[in-house]
Amino acid sequence: MSAAHLSIELPELPPEAQTLRQEVRAFIAEEREAGRLPPPRKIGLGFDREMSRRIGARSWIGMTWPKEYGGQERSALERYVVTEELLAAAVPVGAHWVADRQSGPVLLKFGTEAQRRAYLPRIVTGDLTFSIGMSEPESGSDLASLKARAEKIDGGWRINGRKIWTTNAHHAQYMIILVRTSEATGSRHEGISQLIVDLSLPGVNISPIVSMANEHDFNEVLFEDVVVGDDALIGKEGNGWNQVSAELAYERSGPERWLSSFRLVSELVGALGPCVQSASQEELGRILSHLLALRQLSMSVASMIQQGKSANMEASIVKDLGTKFEQETVRVVRNIVSAEDLTANGREERLRALLIHAQQYAPAFTIRGGTNEILRGIIARGIGLR
Amino acid sequence: MSEHRIFFRETVERILADALDKADIDAAEERILPARLYEALNENGIPLMLVSEDKGGIGATVADAAAILRAMGEASAPGPILETMLGQQLLASVGLEFSPGLISLVFVDGIDVPELGATEWSNATVHAVPWGAAADHVLIVARTAAGTQLIVTNGADWTATPERDAAGEPRDNLSARSLPVTVIALANGDAYLRAAAVLRAAQCLGAIEWAFRRSVEYTGERKQFGREIGKFQAIQQMLAELAGHVLACVGLVEAAAEGMNPQLIAAARSRLGDAIDATITITHQVHGAMGFSLEYSLNSRTRRLMAWRDDFGSTLYWRRMLAREFTHLQRDEFWPAVADSGLAAVG
Repeated sequence: MSAAHLSIELPELPPEAQTLRQEVRAFIAEEREAGRLPPPRKIGLGFDREMSRRIGARSWIGMTWPKEYGGQERSALERYVVTEELLAAAVPVGAHWVADRQSGPVLLKFGTEAQRRAYLPRIVTGDLTFSIGMSEPESGSDLASLKARAEKIDGGWRINGRKIWTTNAHHAQYMIILVRTSEATGSRHEGISQLIVDLSLPGVNISPIVSMANEHDFNEVLFEDVVVGDDALIGKEGNGWNQVSAELAYERSGPERWLSSFRLVSELVGALGPCVQSASQEELGRILSHLLALRQLSMSVASMIQQGKSANMEASIVKDLGTKFEQETVRVVRNIVSAEDLTANGREERLRALLIHAQQYAPAFTIRGGTNEILRGIIARGIGLR
Repeated sequence: MSEHRIFFRETVERILADALDKADIDAAEERILPARLYEALNENGIPLMLVSEDKGGIGATVADAAAILRAMGEASAPGPILETMLGQQLLASVGLEFSPGLISLVFVDGIDVPELGATEWSNATVHAVPWGAAADHVLIVARTAAGTQLIVTNGADWTATPERDAAGEPRDNLSARSLPVTVIALANGDAYLRAAAVLRAAQCLGAIEWAFRRSVEYTGERKQFGREIGKFQAIQQMLAELAGHVLACVGLVEAAAEGMNPQLIAAARSRLGDAIDATITITHQVHGAMGFSLEYSLNSRTRRLMAWRDDFGSTLYWRRMLAREFTHLQRDEFWPAVADSGLAAVG
């Protein structure tokens, strides 16, 4: 069958997933009741350590991981259900997000037994925040050109270099950093390794980067002669590129790729009455259909991951479609707000604030986690063009 | 996919390979139905597949029929096969005697139709009836102030003015001074509209898949500037974008046909509208001037997409339907309604 035959299996949600969905909704209702979940005025993942601990107490972090490391051995689809419910309700999950989604899975897949025991049980309680050390000032889409290096020393590694766009580095205890550990002789993808770094070590210097949405999520992290032990190496020396490729599939297919602007749509629907002009219905119907399509795809990818299938191209498609959808959503909400005159004279003040923030934030959707042009390169390879 | 469905799909793919060629597809523009194809479909009981077994059919599901229509769309098979399949189910469901032959089917809204129980329709007119002049039976599902009714007519009793759709297939205007009719109340007219909509969606999906696959192949064949055009990033980016549309529609159309959930069906038709725009634009752009000739097969798919996209409820109609499922909700009710509408298959 030609590579250009695209197919996807329909996800089958196990009955436990439905029960779980109700449990998550009940949790969200409790949080709202207790006043710990005010309706947001911003989009993006909020950071709230205590919230992450409460979610951890429900066993919803690292829930697919083996029980011996604190996991619940639940399915990828069950994790998917928890994730989408939390995101749709705008629960601030930023404190555990990266660790749950990719750092933990990387440690499980490539880490040593000692590393798993050291980190995973503290991730599942919501106590540990991880950050991702991939991009550098001179290495964006061309990640393999990275300059940060770790030099082998007696008993460990000495790290020098600069990482950028590091979300939550100012809150995180650890970073999984991608560094060059030896010169590439053939492919540039050789000689790259992943190390786990305690961000409180001497020589680590974290400085904020304020985004155009006027927020401090990102950081630049400078490493000057930072010394870590041999036990900091994840997986095999020189195998970092392959490890990162696997990690990016987790990063790209999740519902966060099409749910970050969802709260804007909820707010819009809440503000609209049942009597809406035809043109507004058509615009809203259109984005809802894209949302439902993305959700089907995202669930299918979770199902593929569950079955151990490679979903690199499908994950790239989810992110390409999802992020474009999010930008479209902002435009459509703006149009409907205008057509229905929803925010005039101080009405729907929260919707207005959210819309302003979403517009400022929207350019990032199609850049973070791999630009859409890079993703389409991966898709083109998947359909046999490269 | 169930064994049943794989069997149906393989049967129809075999029939299409044996009994349909480019000349048959082209002949449809001369109002000639591909006779070999329809004979083979009849021999295999395909037109009756949606009729229950106790009434002489196969008792297949809409999702089974969708799998077949997807293959038919991929092959750009002409003729009112969807209309015949669904028409036979309609006739059987209201208890009318089975009658073989070609059926055309239209859904109408806001035109004058005879009352329930009437036997004659004076000054009858319906427009854009697929293969209207060729059909043995013309079924009209009419939404009226009094409810939805099914009007059963004989094709031979109409006078046809030949018209055509964007693919060049007949869409005739039919009229009659005095027409014998059977008019029956249809309790679940909207369910039939949804079935027709999702089946047309499957046909469109098949055409999209063919156009996408052919375009990817073509970029490996066509050379300019000394290399295959598929090596150029500009081409790769366009086809990657189209791949996203294709995969999104595969997931949504399959889930909609499987669950027959009203929200997912409306969503599938809405999402397809954008995918069809992208398919027509990108596959033709990739093919350059070659794809614009009548002789090259790409247009047999893209023109069918133009013809089919607004059948059984336009793209905009389905968008309005989808929005109306949600606009009355409060902010915190919205997500649960979205989440609960998408459960494709609960194991």
